[in-house]
Amino acid sequence: MSEAPFRNPGWAGNTGEFDLAEADVRGVVASDGPPADGGHPSVAPSLPYMLAAKDPAAPLFEGPHLERFEKIKSRYPTARAALLPALNLAQELRGFLSPETMDEVAALLGLSNAYVRGVATFYTMYNKRPVGRFLVQVCTNISCNLRGAEDVLAAFLAHAGTELGETSEDGTFTVVEAECLAACGFPTCVQINSRYFEDVGPADVPGIVDRLQGELQSGAAV
Amino acid sequence: MPDNGRSPAGAATVTLTIDDREVTVPKGTSLLEAAALQGTALPHYCYHPGLSAPAQCRICLVEVEGAPKLQPSCVTMAQDGQVVKTDSPEALKMRKGVLEFYLVNHPLDCPICDMSGECKLQDYVFAEGREHGRGREPKRVFGRDDFGGDVLYYGDRCVMCTRCVRFMDEVARDSRLTVVERGSRAVIDTFFDEGLEGASFAGNVVDICPVGALVSKDFLHKARAWDLDSTPSVCPGCSQGCNIELHTRDNLVQRLKPRENAEVNGHWMCDFGRANYEGLNRGGRLEAPAAGRGAKRRPAGWDEALGQLFARLQAAAGADVKIVGSAEWSCEGLAALAAVGAETGEVSARVFRSRCAADEDRLPGFPALARRRDLAPNVDGARTLGFSRVGGEDAAGGLEEVAAHDGVLFVLGDDLADQEAAFGEAASLFVYMGAHGSEAAANADFVLPVTTFAEQEGTFVNVQQRVQRFWPGLRAPGEARPAWLVLGALLAALRGGEAAPASAAAAFSWLAGERAAFAGLSYEGLGAEGAPLAAPAGGNGAA
Amino acid sequence: MAYPYRHDREVRVMSEAFGDPAARTLEGWKARGGYQGIARALEIGRAATVDEVKASGLRGRGGAGFPTGVKWSFMPREQNPGRPHYLLCNADESEPGTFKDREIIRWTPHQLVEGCLIGAYAIGAAHCYIYLRGEFFEATGVLAQALEEAYAAGLAGPDVLGSGVQIDLTLHVGAGAYICGEETGLMNSLEGRRGEPRIKPPFPAAAGAFGMPTTINNVETLAAVPGILRHGGEWYRQWGTEKSPGTKLFCVSGHVSRPGNYELPLGFPMMDLIEDVCGGIPGGKALKAVIPGGSSVPIMSADECESCELCYEGVAAAGSMLGCASVIVMDETADIVKQVRRMADFYAHESCGQCTPCREGTAWASRILRRIEEGRGKPDDLDTLLQISDQMTGTTICVLSDSLAAPIVSAIEKFRDEFLALIRRGERVGAA
Repeated sequence: MSEAPFRNPGWAGNTGEFDLAEADVRGVVASDGPPADGGHPSVAPSLPYMLAAKDPAAPLFEGPHLERFEKIKSRYPTARAALLPALNLAQELRGFLSPETMDEVAALLGLSNAYVRGVATFYTMYNKRPVGRFLVQVCTNISCNLRGAEDVLAAFLAHAGTELGETSEDGTFTVVEAECLAACGFPTCVQINSRYFEDVGPADVPGIVDRLQGELQSGAAV
Repeated sequence: MPDNGRSPAGAATVTLTIDDREVTVPKGTSLLEAAALQGTALPHYCYHPGLSAPAQCRICLVEVEGAPKLQPSCVTMAQDGQVVKTDSPEALKMRKGVLEFYLVNHPLDCPICDMSGECKLQDYVFAEGREHGRGREPKRVFGRDDFGGDVLYYGDRCVMCTRCVRFMDEVARDSRLTVVERGSRAVIDTFFDEGLEGASFAGNVVDICPVGALVSKDFLHKARAWDLDSTPSVCPGCSQGCNIELHTRDNLVQRLKPRENAEVNGHWMCDFGRANYEGLNRGGRLEAPAAGRGAKRRPAGWDEALGQLFARLQAAAGADVKIVGSAEWSCEGLAALAAVGAETGEVSARVFRSRCAADEDRLPGFPALARRRDLAPNVDGARTLGFSRVGGEDAAGGLEEVAAHDGVLFVLGDDLADQEAAFGEAASLFVYMGAHGSEAAANADFVLPVTTFAEQEGTFVNVQQRVQRFWPGLRAPGEARPAWLVLGALLAALRGGEAAPASAAAAFSWLAGERAAFAGLSYEGLGAEGAPLAAPAGGNGAA
Repeated sequence: MAYPYRHDREVRVMSEAFGDPAARTLEGWKARGGYQGIARALEIGRAATVDEVKASGLRGRGGAGFPTGVKWSFMPREQNPGRPHYLLCNADESEPGTFKDREIIRWTPHQLVEGCLIGAYAIGAAHCYIYLRGEFFEATGVLAQALEEAYAAGLAGPDVLGSGVQIDLTLHVGAGAYICGEETGLMNSLEGRRGEPRIKPPFPAAAGAFGMPTTINNVETLAAVPGILRHGGEWYRQWGTEKSPGTKLFCVSGHVSRPGNYELPLGFPMMDLIEDVCGGIPGGKALKAVIPGGSSVPIMSADECESCELCYEGVAAAGSMLGCASVIVMDETADIVKQVRRMADFYAHESCGQCTPCREGTAWASRILRRIEEGRGKPDDLDTLLQISDQMTGTTICVLSDSLAAPIVSAIEKFRDEFLALIRRGERVGAA
């Protein structure tokens, strides 16, 4: 965490009417990292899966992750319904869904691998190829667009040193354009891994990039 | 499985009005099917009678009085008193609109598209589409993808009806196809490079593709649809007897396509059967009758050959007769052969040989259909007519006694490929009837060219003990004649001037009179879909 | 939202605790009157609970505005053997311009949990799935904590508040698809399928999630229910209009000084919202257009906004739709053609691709608009756009393509000159 209180962007907490710390606005769960075993079964399918830690060789699923997978399955009347949570968990562990990963998840749930590919490619949050440690998704939809989202996107590309949809050479940043992130009152909204950064203007981008680099060095990246 | 609107007799019906005409249909009939029954063919892509209906192509929209918007006729059920307009200005406008959307990206590569001429996009746009395109944007390009097996996918032509995906899911129960990506970026694909290799019913996805997106590699650029003649027939691949069409050009079979029969094969057929048409085009055919053994063999006209043969049979009266038939020849031919044998003397063997597969290959979503173990179309017909199977699963061997027989010997349709030249050396009379010559026919006294099932009319009996008709799709070579015609004439003569059957229909009615199993069946009554034997011989139905 | 700005004219029935982290805990929420609604529901019984919500006149806050109590009453009265009922909470908020559900979830998670409990009880469901937008990791984390607390306190699970009633809640997160906010698309997604909308009939109350009787309600709808149960349906009717009772979160974005969520009685004047509550347009610029209900509704010109009242019937009378009350404000600098093109890009990107008019129409419209924006338009492109908009209205399984047609048609009708200016300029450049 940076030392000075983090001004907007990040959250819209200092408009003069509220005085909130970042953790107050975000809630603390995401920054602590998800409990590997999924916690209570009712919330086991819901844990964040866009994380900085990415190990393409992580096993599907072992130890506490297997426990979570079993909890997930227990919450649905069909095995098929566990597919999205299972893909989430696989992506949380491996960072993206390779053909091999889709095949393994299909086998775990008794589904055809082609079916799993069809489902995985329907949803944009599944990375079909590796992404950087930070996946930066800049909303350019109407509300953000009216307030200069395209300049924010350009700033991220410039400061992260990458092309749209590509990953920076050091593997740190992948920058993409996103559809509406449902934070339209605080344009521009940028999702970086599991976190929202709101009220982002082009001038704020270098600070965010620095912060992320710092988190990576201190091992606090989420 | 949808039931194609068929309901048991006495089931409830509904009466509705479609385009100002009243029509009564069974309850549970969709508007699309009701319109078809009434004679109005509504356009459709995603609907297929053998599959579930997702109502997503939106080309079958019709106006239903009282409904706020147009309804997809494929999933809207007919109801009493409903008033439906398939050709109202609103319905026509929207269908025209949907067709325009298809053409935004569909390539106009009809000149090199196999489907051209039988393409539903061509047909519907021709019938109801706009006269001029308005698209100014470049078309989307996906390119071509080899799905493995015999299937090739042209993504650009795909109308995303998902029939193929649903066939693999619901009928083949082998979910190897899927829609990948979404929206206008969506294509049909398999699991990366896994393909359809080894999926033994995958060829059906080519048949049900309404456009040229899924095409057969075997048929690729081979013939134009409008140059093909189509003949209803029965697949010779196995004892299932799938109803098929022979598609022919230049007197060659170009491809086989399944023909609907709800009792036998639904809308489907297997890839093994589909690929087996080459045998029907095999050259080197016997074209003219010949008489005389070995070096003494001379060509003979039919009258001369049959006259001589008749005399020899009369002379052989009372002899021991052995008969080798074939499960690839029609019931009429086999029955006439058995009868000629019986008229000649004491029949001590009536056998056939045919290939057998190690196991069945069933279509899970249409379990009446399987590629059967018996790899010939008339095994059950031959059995019904008193023939027994001999030899191995490779259709070889088993003829030791026949080969050395010293009485009268008939061979029909078995080309004796595994037999020695000495076959029939001891026979007092050896009649060889077939489509192809044989080195083992050197001792034959008569070699008579007969037609294959593809060149004649007749019937087979399938594994369900169902009698099914086929029609000639190819011209017979030279002087080859149907076996029933040749043997029927001999039989009539042997029986002292009985009238010989002059048509396939007459041959069948002779058979129905002669054999109890066929009693009560009429050739006309069999129609295109066949009928069960009167007294099932084996008693094992479709399982 | 009462967060990050407040205003005196707000009526903060459900949003009072926004911006107050202490309200997130079970203890904190109970101190603010939490879980009295479910207690009363269990006391008065299932039928009376439905009646109370009917009496409140609460209308679905997901955009369609269907009366919630009436929707609940469509469910079978008794559960048939082997046919469990399900409640689905639609938390897949993704309509551009809409950002209210996330605030409810992250500031008052127990309000939503309680609403889900009451809703599930009312429809006889033993299981409620909350389908959360995948991107909402942080808000989901807050809700997950609340759910853990609710289970630990016996508020959820096999014996809710000792009543013997079983209600389980499960958080299910999506993976990025706007169409999963459509109720049947959401069901397919929950079942582990591509989120493609289903044909109706069958309707969800007959065969919804897993083929079972299902009711689906928006987050804001369910969050309004605890207050209604606690205070009574009549209490809720003290705000709003006859046809649109109660309060509503208005999501205001775009060109205003104080964007955000504001909870206001339905029927609130639009210009008061923009000029007073939201502090007007920055820099003294003139209002050009407003999209009143999220990106899928017709665009309103500044004139049309003048006397518009923000309730279902009021916005309809002004020629648009209240939708989910996502008010996108555009000042005179806004480029209408560009923004309509951006919406078209969005709908083309999010079309599931099942229905031909949507799959092809949205992508085609987006390309035509892009061409116009880039100065390569032709005069007849506008007619083509209007016609293909017509062709993709009312012709598909869901209303995604209708949702693009509405802004295109209204923009061309009301701002035709802006399109023509680009086309003419392009032609002049091309001619030179």
